[in-house]
Amino acid sequence: MRASKQDNKILIVDDESSSAILMAVRRRLEEEGWVPSVVHPESGWSLGEEFEAATLYAIDDEQPDGVLLDVRFGEDRDDRFKGLEILQKIVKRYPKLPILMFTQYAQGPDRDTAARGALLWDAPVDFIDKLASPEEVVLRLRRLIGTAPERIPVGNRILVDVETAMVYAKDGEELIPVSEIQGMKFEILRELAAAWYRSPGEMVPFSKLERYSEGDDPRASLRVRIREIKDVLGVALGVRFAAGELIINVRDQGYRLLPPRG
Amino acid sequence: MQNGLKTAGGIVFLLGILSLILAPFVGSLAFDNLWSVEPLTYIGAVLAAVGLGVVSISYTVNSVVNKGRDDDASNNNGFHNWSEVTQRYFDLFDHDLGRPIRRISGKERELRAVLKFAGAETDPNVQELLDEIEMQTPNFRLMMSNIQVLVQLEGPDRVAQPQPVEPSELIRKIVDRYTLVAEQSDKEISWWAEPSEFGLVYSDGSAIEHIVTNLVDNAVRFADSHIEVTLSKNDTHFIIRVWDDGPGIPSQYAQHIFDHGWTPEVARREEKSSSGLGLFIARTLASHWEGGLTLESVAGSDENHHTSFILEMPMNSGE
Repeated sequence: MRASKQDNKILIVDDESSSAILMAVRRRLEEEGWVPSVVHPESGWSLGEEFEAATLYAIDDEQPDGVLLDVRFGEDRDDRFKGLEILQKIVKRYPKLPILMFTQYAQGPDRDTAARGALLWDAPVDFIDKLASPEEVVLRLRRLIGTAPERIPVGNRILVDVETAMVYAKDGEELIPVSEIQGMKFEILRELAAAWYRSPGEMVPFSKLERYSEGDDPRASLRVRIREIKDVLGVALGVRFAAGELIINVRDQGYRLLPPRG
Repeated sequence: MQNGLKTAGGIVFLLGILSLILAPFVGSLAFDNLWSVEPLTYIGAVLAAVGLGVVSISYTVNSVVNKGRDDDASNNNGFHNWSEVTQRYFDLFDHDLGRPIRRISGKERELRAVLKFAGAETDPNVQELLDEIEMQTPNFRLMMSNIQVLVQLEGPDRVAQPQPVEPSELIRKIVDRYTLVAEQSDKEISWWAEPSEFGLVYSDGSAIEHIVTNLVDNAVRFADSHIEVTLSKNDTHFIIRVWDDGPGIPSQYAQHIFDHGWTPEVARREEKSSSGLGLFIARTLASHWEGGLTLESVAGSDENHHTSFILEMPMNSGE
C-alpha cells in the first residue's frame, strides 16, 4: 500500500482527453488529490498505433498507479476497438497495473465479456461507461487501485486516520483531534468509514460490528457506542446528529455512514 | 396465390410487348393497312402496362405477407431475421447514439464547473435544469441498453458462456451509479450482502448487471425515500432483492408488470414515461439463465407499502 493516496498518479489515454466529459473527470481526480497525466502522442498517420506506442512509453516512464483507457480511438474502422488491443499489451507487460476502461455503452454487453474473457478473471481491470459521473469514476479507481488509504476523508468534515487510530474533525484547514473516539469506538467508526469509502451506500451488518461490542446484549452495547460516537463528533463539529444522520440504522440489519453535508 | 398472380401478370406483360413488336407486321401483312397498326399498338401498350401492374402488386402483397409472417415468427419463437444493414446499425447503435448524449452530459458538467468557479450563487432554475439533465442521462442510457439487449436476445447468434462473477461487486457498481441520482431527489440507497464475503458465482455478469440495473432504476424512480438492495444465497441459488418504500403495485396490475411495453401509465391511459421494456427484458434474461424474477408488493395507504423484486439465479449456470 502507498504511504498516502496523494502519491497516486493516473494516466489518461483517450483521444478526446480535452473533451468536456474528460475535463470533468480530470477536475474530480485533482480534487481528490490524484495527479492525472494525459498521454499526448506525436501526430502520425495512424491514430491508434500512435496512442499504443505513447501509452506503453508513458507507463514505463511515469510508473502510474492506475490507467484510464478508452476503448475507441478516432473514427477509423481499424481503431474502433484499439483500446482493447492496448489493454492486452499493458496487461501482458504490467499484469498488476490497475486499468479502468472507458466503454461507449451502458452495461457491458458481450463485448465486455469477450474482452474480460481474454484476461485472467482477477486481473485488475474494470469497465466503466464513459457517461458515468466523475464521482463514480473516482470511486471505481479507488477500489481498483487498492484498499482504503491510511487516512479516510469522510466527506469534508471528518478524517479517520487508520495509522494513528485517531479521528479528526475538520474546521476549514484545521484538524481538531477527537480523542474520545478510541479503542472499540474507533474500530466501529473505521469499519463504517472503510465501507463508505468503498461504496457510499454499503451497509455494515451487525455481524461484522458486534465483534466491537461486549456484554450479554452486544446489539445494545453497539447501539450505545454508536450514540457516543455521534455525540462526541457532534460536539467537535458543533452540530447535533439525529437518528437519521451520520450513522444510520438500516432496517435493523446493520449501520451505514452518511457523511455530514457541507 | 401470389405466385400465380405473378405468372399471369408476366404472361400478360409479355403478350403486350409482343403485340407492340408485331403491330407493324400484323397491320401491314394481315390487313394490308398501316392504319391498323395504331390500335394494335395501343392494345399492346395496355397489355404490357396491366401485366407489369399485376406483377408489381403481387410482389408488394408477397412482401407484406412475408413481413407479417416474420413478425409472427419473431413473437412466437424469438427469431428475427435482421438484415445486414440493420445488424450493422445496432452494432454501432450505442456508440452513435451515445455520442450526442456524451456531448450533452459533458457540456452540463462543464457548465456546473464554470458556475462553481464563478463563485456566485447559482440561479435555482439553472440548477434544476442541470439536475434534470444529469438525472435523465442514465434513463436514456438505460433505454438504449434495453433496446440493444432486446436485439441480442432476438438475434439468431446469441452465445454466452457462464463466467466467474462477483455479484457483490456488480451490486456495488450499480448502487454507486444510482446513489447520486437518488440523492438529487432526496432518496437514499443502501445495500449489503449476507454473508459479507460473498465470493464467486458462475453466471452471465452482463445479464445480471442489466437485470439489477433495471430493477434499481425502477426503484429509484418510484421510492418515497429509501431503496435497499440485498444479496443472499442458499445452497443452489443466489438471491438479489431490490426493495423500495414506494406506493406499491396494486394486485390487479401485478400480473401485467412483466408484460412487453406495459408501464403504470398504460393502466391510467396516460402518456408513457418509459418504454416498458425493462422488466420484460429482465425476466426474459433471468429465464434464459434458468433463474426467476418475481414481484412482492404491498400497495395502498398501509404505511408498510413497498415493492420488492426478487431475482433468483443458479450459483452455477453451467451445470
